[in-house]
Amino acid sequence: MISKLLAIPFLAMTMFIASCSGNSEEQKNQESLEVVDSTATVTAPATVAEDNEVSYNLPSALQIAYVFKKSGAGFVPALLNNKANTSKYNTSNYKRAINFGIYSADLAYCLFNKKFQESKEYLKACKEMGSYLGLNQAFESDNMAQRFDKNISNEDSVVKIVSNVQLKTDVMFEQNKQKHITVIAFAGAWTESMYIAIEVYSKDKNKKVLGSLLEQLLLSETIIKALKTYKDTEPELTELIAAIEKINSQFNSIAAVKLAMEKDEEIDFNSISVTDAELNAITESVKTLRSGMIN
Amino acid sequence: MKKIIKPLFSVVIISMLMAFQGGDVLCNSKELKDKAKEALDPFKYDSAELTRIMYKKKESIKEVEVPLFIGEKYRIVFEMEALPKQVEVQIYNKDKDSKNRKLLFSSKEMGDKKEFHFEVSKTRHVYVDYVVPPMEEGSYNGCAVFMVGYK
Repeated sequence: MISKLLAIPFLAMTMFIASCSGNSEEQKNQESLEVVDSTATVTAPATVAEDNEVSYNLPSALQIAYVFKKSGAGFVPALLNNKANTSKYNTSNYKRAINFGIYSADLAYCLFNKKFQESKEYLKACKEMGSYLGLNQAFESDNMAQRFDKNISNEDSVVKIVSNVQLKTDVMFEQNKQKHITVIAFAGAWTESMYIAIEVYSKDKNKKVLGSLLEQLLLSETIIKALKTYKDTEPELTELIAAIEKINSQFNSIAAVKLAMEKDEEIDFNSISVTDAELNAITESVKTLRSGMIN
Repeated sequence: MKKIIKPLFSVVIISMLMAFQGGDVLCNSKELKDKAKEALDPFKYDSAELTRIMYKKKESIKEVEVPLFIGEKYRIVFEMEALPKQVEVQIYNKDKDSKNRKLLFSSKEMGDKKEFHFEVSKTRHVYVDYVVPPMEEGSYNGCAVFMVGYK
């Protein structure tokens, strides 16, 4: 009888240990992040679509800026989002994520144009937005700020430092089961990069800048698919998806793009012609989307 | 007493096995990505993707679409050590629903290696397919990581 009575709590304990141990590493990570990021205002992790048969790996804001810089695009500081606005965006997960992406794109644009003092300021803006998303640890580890200051005039070194921060934020989103935040942030970064490219092209009329702009537009389809995977995580996503779908449709309506797609050919964006009307339609949509994000 | 201990012992063993077969025990995202980062050098870090793999009774495929910029050179590093059974990595130029897609890489060439990489340029997309072999018994899970670098 005694042994039977002992068996029940023993069995319960064994099952409890078994059910807990499957997530031990993640729980450890989660706990450590919660301690470090006590100022974060991110709400409970949303349901994520992890078991989909198809998923999407989006590029970084840094790479977009790198490709854009190679096209010969100039630096126009007036195009950057005001770095003093960070606290204004601490209102919802969506606003925090989208503007984290926007500031990341601004930081990358400054970095590849060797505007290191501005880069430092936009890194600070990213850090502030990151703190609202629970990313303090990513920005504070390995003496990041001091190393950035020490290497401030060395493009390769500061790009490496920022790349490391980006890797850390990616890992933290993964561990916090907030992969959807990465996708929303990328949508913000992409919109900001598009906005900068459109404005720079309108001033310079550099054909290579236009080619780079069209190359970036091609990403819209993957962004839509990635956002749709997480469409139920944040209420604002329906509107965001519709806005990017509109841009994607305008891009696909460019006569030269349409023709290449019908023939299933790779497009050489440096040699295709785009009419003013085709480009104006995209310009207006991108400006409206960006304005909604930053205001 | 013996009647109780025997089934109890079985339950303990089964429960422990269930716990350690859970894929999350193996999936330390930070550790896997840190290893991949080392193998990425001299390419600059761009992005990384952790894919959770569930072994089913039939062979299954998990696909990750990777958009790229056509003028850039890329290295894609794979870390496969967090998988209890070998999964084949195939890289294609088109998605799994396309008829005329071309196989660009297969991890079969890598033998039993748990870490390997593939370099690619002059393309706007690659599709990473994890071909998950069938498993008859148990609920085996794990994860695979790849990291994309550019230069």
